[in-house]
Amino acid sequence: MAASGERRIGDVVLKVENISLAFGGVRALNDVSFDIRAHEIRAIIGPNGAGKSSMLNVINGFYHPQQGRITFKDIARENFGPYDAASRGIARTFQNIALFKGMSTLDNIMTGRLLKMKVPFFWQLLRYGPAMREEVEHRRFVEGIIEFLEIQAIRKVPVGRLPYGLQKRVELGRALAMEPDLLLLDEPMAGMNVEEKEDMCRFILDINDEFGTTIALIEHDMSVVMDLSDRVVVLDYGRKIADGTPEEVRSNREVIDAYLGVRH
Amino acid sequence: MLYSIFVDPFVQMVELPDLLVQVLWEGVVAGVLYALIALGFVLIFKASGVFNFAQGIMVVFAALSLVGLHENGVPAPLALVLTVAIMYALAWSIERIVLRPLVNQPDIILFMATFGISYLLIGLGEFIFGGQPKMMITDQLMLPRGAIDLQILGGRVTVQKLDIAAAVIAGMMVALLAVFFRSTRVGLALRAVADSHKAALSVGISLNHIWVVVWFTAGLVALVTGIMWGARSDVSFALQIIALKALPVLILGGFTSVPGAIVGGLIIGVGEKLGEFYWGPLVGGGIESWLAYLIALVFLLFRPQGLFGEKIIERI
Amino acid sequence: MDGIQRTSVSTPVIGASRARARLKDADTFPKILIANARDFTGRPASREKDLGIWQTWTWSQVLGETKALAAGLSALGARRGDKIAIVGDNRPRLYWTMCAAQAIGCVPVPVYQDAVAAEMGFVIDNAGARFAIAEDQEQVDKLLQIKDAHPGLETIIFEDGRGMRHYAQPFLLSFAKVQENGRDLLARDPGFFEREVAQGKGGDVAVMLYTSGTTGQPKGVVLSHSNVLVTALNSVELEKLTEAEETLAYLPMAWVGDHIFSFGQSYVAGFCVGCPESGATVMTDLRELGPTYFFAPPRIWENILTTVMIRMEDAGWIKRSLFKRFMDLAKRVGPALLDRKPVGVVDRLLYKLGDLLIYAPLRNTLGFSRIRLAYTAGEAIGPDIFDFYRSLGVNVKQLYGMTEAAVFICIQPDGEVRPDTVGPPAPEVEVKIVESGEVLFRSPGVFQAYYKNEKATSESKTADGWVKTGDAGFFDADGHLRIIDRAKDVGKLADGSLFAPKYIENKLKFFPYIREAVAFGADRDFVAVFINIDLAAVGNWAERQGIVYGGYQELAGRTEVYDLIRDCVEQVNRDLSRETTLVGSQIKRFLILHKELDADDGELTRTRKVRRNFVQDRYEPLVNGLFSGSERAHIETEVTFEDGRKGRVKADLAIAEAERYPLDQLKKAS
Repeated sequence: MAASGERRIGDVVLKVENISLAFGGVRALNDVSFDIRAHEIRAIIGPNGAGKSSMLNVINGFYHPQQGRITFKDIARENFGPYDAASRGIARTFQNIALFKGMSTLDNIMTGRLLKMKVPFFWQLLRYGPAMREEVEHRRFVEGIIEFLEIQAIRKVPVGRLPYGLQKRVELGRALAMEPDLLLLDEPMAGMNVEEKEDMCRFILDINDEFGTTIALIEHDMSVVMDLSDRVVVLDYGRKIADGTPEEVRSNREVIDAYLGVRH
Repeated sequence: MLYSIFVDPFVQMVELPDLLVQVLWEGVVAGVLYALIALGFVLIFKASGVFNFAQGIMVVFAALSLVGLHENGVPAPLALVLTVAIMYALAWSIERIVLRPLVNQPDIILFMATFGISYLLIGLGEFIFGGQPKMMITDQLMLPRGAIDLQILGGRVTVQKLDIAAAVIAGMMVALLAVFFRSTRVGLALRAVADSHKAALSVGISLNHIWVVVWFTAGLVALVTGIMWGARSDVSFALQIIALKALPVLILGGFTSVPGAIVGGLIIGVGEKLGEFYWGPLVGGGIESWLAYLIALVFLLFRPQGLFGEKIIERI
Repeated sequence: MDGIQRTSVSTPVIGASRARARLKDADTFPKILIANARDFTGRPASREKDLGIWQTWTWSQVLGETKALAAGLSALGARRGDKIAIVGDNRPRLYWTMCAAQAIGCVPVPVYQDAVAAEMGFVIDNAGARFAIAEDQEQVDKLLQIKDAHPGLETIIFEDGRGMRHYAQPFLLSFAKVQENGRDLLARDPGFFEREVAQGKGGDVAVMLYTSGTTGQPKGVVLSHSNVLVTALNSVELEKLTEAEETLAYLPMAWVGDHIFSFGQSYVAGFCVGCPESGATVMTDLRELGPTYFFAPPRIWENILTTVMIRMEDAGWIKRSLFKRFMDLAKRVGPALLDRKPVGVVDRLLYKLGDLLIYAPLRNTLGFSRIRLAYTAGEAIGPDIFDFYRSLGVNVKQLYGMTEAAVFICIQPDGEVRPDTVGPPAPEVEVKIVESGEVLFRSPGVFQAYYKNEKATSESKTADGWVKTGDAGFFDADGHLRIIDRAKDVGKLADGSLFAPKYIENKLKFFPYIREAVAFGADRDFVAVFINIDLAAVGNWAERQGIVYGGYQELAGRTEVYDLIRDCVEQVNRDLSRETTLVGSQIKRFLILHKELDADDGELTRTRKVRRNFVQDRYEPLVNGLFSGSERAHIETEVTFEDGRKGRVKADLAIAEAERYPLDQLKKAS
């Protein structure tokens, strides 16, 4: 029903060129290149240990590749840290969830707004004037996300007490609060039951559709990948072995051998 | 014997309530200062997981800088501002020179590094300001002097104005910190960093920036503590041993809890004074130097996470 | 009077209340809305939490919104008599839609929001709805699914457009757009709304509510404005509800209870109705709003109690023991205090202390700190649960009602609240019990008809206006109605006196020692029962008594246990002896089954309801034993073990006699 054809894919936002990454003697990524276009949903797939998470960690500055270049929004940087990545519009979630467990859902999502807060903290200390206005504005934004993700009921609950599926949703909310130009999702549906997976799929599509957010995701569930993504990159042993639309990738011999042949 | 341990002290408390109030007050004042020191520890521990051995030295260093600057002809208000600036410079340098290169090293390495910091500070302090004890510039900072006698409970309780000031300033300090943590973006970032480094990085919080902030905040707390302690005795490196009192306070209150540091400080302070006054004579005095550790030890047996320590709730 | 057929009419409402005086010229809900906007201009009417903040609309704002909507609907071509389906969770805009539809002579048809597309299709089709107003994408999707099959549905209006940016169908319109059209129309024709409203009459159809019914397709119950208005007005007067009440609407809008509580009474009394943020936030919203008036079915009362109990289990020992101590006190004196009965000074003071320490904080966390009136209805509520809330000072009362009555048939008045009755007839309601035991009523709330279902209407409604409830019941000595069972399940003893097996079984099952009971007596000389003991409770008791046992069967056979159960049975008999109708159905003989009734053996349904006929056949020798006068009975049955193997169990069971009591005249006289 939702006519996805209307979504226009834009220019290249992120370009990854000849990235190689090694830990000691172990090669995690070997000369990998691909790009991500504006407004698309790009999947990175591959068997366990193929280097998918390493790739995300390189993109958001957690890992510094030994070789290669990353161009994001037309600015090429060989090395940049997570702070640079975040402030330039890259948000992410983690495979094993990294939340602030002692803080409420609201505060967790609010941390996504930190980079957008501009009022000197001295005013915030006095809770006065422009500081209050700014706080109200951010709170409203965060409430919008809470409504969007349908987590009103857990607004004030410390996230450490939430079930796994909801934690994943809060983490997504925190990433959304950053109003990212590129959203990296590391196995957003791992460990979820069918219903939770369906919800998550819906959220991902809605995010992409309503906010036009560019999304790069790692996912294990092939049916999900095929349904969601516009283009797919396949990694195996740190190498790129295929890149294209889901249909192209599905029929690629090497992919079938490396990945689809090996059932998980 | 049993009588003098279990009955007599309580009889005394009831018979001379004014004396009891006096002792309690002394305990509260000592407790407030313990709490301030513990607070410095907690701030740094929460945000960076480092147990800062140098916190006690920072107290002395701050007080020494203030007095030393004044001795060299800087007017008191300016000296205060400059000392604040020095503490900021200290925090910045520690982050740059010590923490940043050691990032991702085991906690014990960082702990050892704080040893280094403390000896460096001692050396630096003695080199610049000399080793002899100094008087705190109480009057110049417009802290009150003298005492108030209160007629209560059929007796007289003497309260030093300075102690009242100490309690009030400490209270304001804590309130300010609470607001800082709760409603500023730096406070939110601090709480975030205290909770998870990885997550904090992913939302663009700069750990380096946060470390400077917490060390600076701990430095400010140290400065306030140094002024208060210095005004009660004098400013010398001997003061650093009071930092050791923070350890039982932390055990009592939990290493990660700000309210815990405050309540723990008060318990230790009051407990010490009560013990010294009522039970001290039985063992010939000197209880004050070890009672705090005894209380902490007993506490450790029953509640290892401390009074307000976080019970870690994890889902598997 | 022979005690079988009785009619009870409540005292008519004395004097004209403020609400009655205020609304003497208003005979439809749109007219009431206009009156409310005049009388309660700045007072809150609707609330909804949006982005974490409660938004409030005053009565005059609601009138404005409703006007725009009514005009907008009219501009879309809605004509008098058209049906407008309303599909969604409780939302202020959907409530306004009801009144807007009524204003232009249309009939709102709320649909259960959790209905699947096919069920929704039936209602839309049966009602012949031309318009549907849906809350969000989820509901719109369902409507789109059925639209092709039901071309009568012309236009779909949605409240929340999220996720529907690409829905290009021309018949899809946003709520805001419809209101915008309406405002245009009103700008051209300012008198439009008032003119339309003036055409409405009290006898017009106000709403159609579909009842699910246990069998067959749902039936559309047609209620007129007077139906809803008069019952709402009567109940508002009885309970002294004012514009100051605050309520939370969280039960389905398609259910008659919500229609009366959150629409009818709200309009008549002028009070504010809050809508929860989402289904999951009801408990939080409850706490934030602090309603003064609240309805919940027994299931929800039970859930809330369970949450409290679980939280108390996790609390520290000081808190736990305080809680236990004060709850015991509360159970003893709380209900009496609520009913304004005399209570000793010491208890009174202790209760005050308990209120300070436990009850008030507890009420506060539950969102009941301001509650003045609460109802439960629908099915029997466990006395423990009922008493728990009353002992906390929450004035929970039972009521008995149905869609066909526009809710109210009986209400327990303040001071006469008991867990096992539903109270005397509500104002202006006549109730009679016919010979079969079935409860009939006649009231101003009696529905007009089942929509397009002449046959069902005439089956349920007699020519002189009595409606069959399908429930069997009787009036107790205090004139309270007691519902005992569905009428079709009630039988007669050989002497013709009433035999209500489920009523007896439920009474037995309220004892913790008894897990299951099966009563026999239809066409017999007396009543006899099978008992299943509750292994945990009786085992616990046995341990304290020092009784050694090897398992269920052995424990069930102990004479001490028979004595224990006999006490319970005789307690039930004493209760039964207080009622003229039921004095004859006291239990004469009983036995304790050697095995627990089990769904795997087909003895229970999967929802743990006893399959009476199956049990009767399977244990025929035991039933014969009960009615033969012998002291033991032998049985051999096949059972399924936990691991699925089958085996045969033989048992020789003792049959015990219980004392029966004469009609308790003393109690009757009081």
